[in-house]
Amino acid sequence: MKKFLSMLLAVAMLLTVCAFSVAETTGFDGEIKVWVADAAVEFTKAQIDAFKAANAEYANMTVTVEPMGEGDAATAMITDVESGADIYGFAQDQLSRLVAAGALEEVAPDNVPLVTAENDAGSVAAATLGDVMYAYPLTSDNGYFLYYDKSVVTDPNTLETIIADCEKAGKGFYMEINSGWYQTAFFFGAGCTLTYDVNNEGSLVACHCDYASENGVKALKAMISVAKSPAFSNASSASNATNIGAIVDGAWDAKTVQEKLGDNYAATKLPTVAGYQMGGFGGFKLLGVKPQTDDAKLAACDALAYYLASGDVQAARYDALQWGPSNLEAQKLDAIQTNAALSALAAQLSHCVGQGQYPNDYWSLATALADSVIAGEYDNYTDEQLLEVLQTFQDTAISYAAN
Amino acid sequence: MAFGTKRISDLEYLGLSPFQRFLYRLTCFLVSLPGALARGVENGAKTVARFLKIVWRELADLVMTFVNGDAYTRLSYLIMGAGNAARGQYLRAACFFLAQAAFNVYLFLFGWPYLSKLGTLGTVETTKVGRKTVYGDNSFFILLYSLLTIFLIVLFVYLWHSNIRQSRKSYEMKKAGKHLATAKEDLASLLDGQFHKTLLALPMAGITAFTFLPIVFMILVAFTNFDKTHQPPGKLFTWVGLDNFREMFTTSTSRYASTFSEVLTWTLIWAFFATFLNYFLGMIVAIMINKKGIRFKKMWRTILVMTIAIPQFVSLLYVSKMFASDGLINSYLLKWGWIKTPLPFWTKASWARITIICINVWIGIPYAMLICTGILMNIPADLYESARIDGANAFQAYVKITLPYMLFVTGPYLLTSFIGNINNFNVIYLLTQGSPKGMELESPAGYTDLLITWLYKMTVDNTEYRLAAVIGIAVFVLTAVTSLIVYNSIPSVRNEEDFQ
Repeated sequence: MKKFLSMLLAVAMLLTVCAFSVAETTGFDGEIKVWVADAAVEFTKAQIDAFKAANAEYANMTVTVEPMGEGDAATAMITDVESGADIYGFAQDQLSRLVAAGALEEVAPDNVPLVTAENDAGSVAAATLGDVMYAYPLTSDNGYFLYYDKSVVTDPNTLETIIADCEKAGKGFYMEINSGWYQTAFFFGAGCTLTYDVNNEGSLVACHCDYASENGVKALKAMISVAKSPAFSNASSASNATNIGAIVDGAWDAKTVQEKLGDNYAATKLPTVAGYQMGGFGGFKLLGVKPQTDDAKLAACDALAYYLASGDVQAARYDALQWGPSNLEAQKLDAIQTNAALSALAAQLSHCVGQGQYPNDYWSLATALADSVIAGEYDNYTDEQLLEVLQTFQDTAISYAAN
Repeated sequence: MAFGTKRISDLEYLGLSPFQRFLYRLTCFLVSLPGALARGVENGAKTVARFLKIVWRELADLVMTFVNGDAYTRLSYLIMGAGNAARGQYLRAACFFLAQAAFNVYLFLFGWPYLSKLGTLGTVETTKVGRKTVYGDNSFFILLYSLLTIFLIVLFVYLWHSNIRQSRKSYEMKKAGKHLATAKEDLASLLDGQFHKTLLALPMAGITAFTFLPIVFMILVAFTNFDKTHQPPGKLFTWVGLDNFREMFTTSTSRYASTFSEVLTWTLIWAFFATFLNYFLGMIVAIMINKKGIRFKKMWRTILVMTIAIPQFVSLLYVSKMFASDGLINSYLLKWGWIKTPLPFWTKASWARITIICINVWIGIPYAMLICTGILMNIPADLYESARIDGANAFQAYVKITLPYMLFVTGPYLLTSFIGNINNFNVIYLLTQGSPKGMELESPAGYTDLLITWLYKMTVDNTEYRLAAVIGIAVFVLTAVTSLIVYNSIPSVRNEEDFQ
């Protein structure tokens, strides 16, 4: 009897083990929806086919790839989580919003050490809230730097000369200073900080801001003097710019600028203004997985997302789309090392801070501040009055973390 | 003031100067306002009382029917259609019975699970089992399907009530020996005596499901905390009473109140100018083109109507680029040396507002011109002739003949276009997206935002559904109140016979 029982136990155990290992390897043959930027749809489809060919257990799953800009993905996901994509690319500033809305699953614990080791520190930090990693870094190229016309700008090292050159040549200096993103070039460069602490659930718990300081006033005065120039245009989109002498823009517009400037095309890090080096945000694109109600599907999503964010695919993505990789190995490739825009970005990134999490209200507030600057409201302000303006700004920014 | 608030005689009124007349009319209007409001409240109360009376009478009627009716009528209180079946009206009986069965199935299998949670909007949180997500209650669906269920319950009660009435009626008719409609006759009546019901069934169902239900849903959202941190299916939201209204309209808690009044003021200024400036300028253009001796009338009209032919999405986006600091207009002015720095068309609040109004004139004049042209041609020429004989000059003829006639005919048009301009999303959003912003304003509002564009940005960019719903209600109240007051005081409604 005892023998029989132990036999039974052994069989039961064997069955359990089998069941477990079967669960591990059955894979998944349902449907997965992927959102990527319009330009990346064909590339992603090809990569997914390669992934299915390489992984027999996922060969039968149906993956649909739909175009969705990284900027819009978060809003679309939050509006309707259930009909949103299972895997989607998004700009990293949307991370906390997505986590707070329950639209983002944590990175599979097994993948975390790999992802951490393979990608640059900035991108890993950008994908992490508190101590939880929520997304796979995809690119490390969401930063801005200076494109300029060699025939117009004689010395791209100081903003004052750039603007004087543009004025002289009747050309424009373009920088979207009323965007909270570009605006930090002035404040962060002057030594100010503005960061928010976010807990593991994506809620803002604290704000560290010292805009209301001597450095802040210095930065604001620099902004005011730039905005006063007749050459200044508050825009950073090369395709809409009509009269480029110099433009602060990102790597994604490299082709457009090159077309507009032709042989006079040049790119470099941001200049100094009022004697200090302009700083700014380093930004990243991330790939996220939606929370799943099915373990097998979640495993499939994790595997696919990890693959799409891996070094080889990032290198291939650079070849196809010119997206600068976050993967350390891919960054060492020759093609990337010699790209003018990407090397300008790399030079600028050393003066930048990785972009953390900011509430949507921050972007509005920054726009409000710069709109007033551009409207000339502060033109005749004394330093004390400017400090007061910045105090209001700082208090408002801090108030966003309170609720 | 020269005259008090009491009414003066016609003779005295005619003796007043135009300005005094205006003052007098304004005073009369303001004085009558409290009375009108009181009357409104009184009428409202009367309506409620009348409604309660009807309900009471129907309830009493139900009891009496039960007491006086036969067994089948009593049975139809429980099983719908029983009375009709007993009287041989099998088709009606089957319809009632099936409706009851379907309703019960719906209620117990689908509706009740949602409706029972309406009080809390769900309590079961979303949890994790291992790495798998197990969703809890979905507050959004609870609210939506509860509403749907309530609508269906109301419909069911109506059906149940008419089932009892029919049962009683058929009982009485049979007793009196009258002919009862057969199934065939019932069907035929749907295309004859009851044709209105056949025609309206589908539109009514559509309006209820796709217009009325969402509106009630959005109104209810204003009383919940549905926002970016309470987002189904991951998070629950719940009822918060009047908290959102407090946040929006009281100054102590946030800057929403001051932002709201800023945006509201601009919305009204904008609606006023967008309506009346376009209207009068359009009328003037129409009069000029209509004038005898003007040549190429059709060409002038065609040129103006061209702006209608181009979609606003194209023309407005293009114009907004034209006025940008590096746009066509600024760069030419700079090139010609007329200005030293670009004009702040979109960057200064006051400039942006004036620019928007001016651009809107350009879009709006053709419409007003087309409408006015038709009506102007309709004004009897003998009116002008006799005015000329009496020695009136062109301006007097305009003020005494053209304007009253136009205002009379186009009064309702002016009202609808004023309301339309309060909600004129296109022009604002395509030109400025509400910018420039200001630090005094609560995000994401800007100085050229209308309530409707603010609402849009709040929903789409900031996921603040609860406050957006409050603004939605405010817009509704604003448009409804304006419409009612203006509609009841325009001459087209009050003196219908004046110009016939």
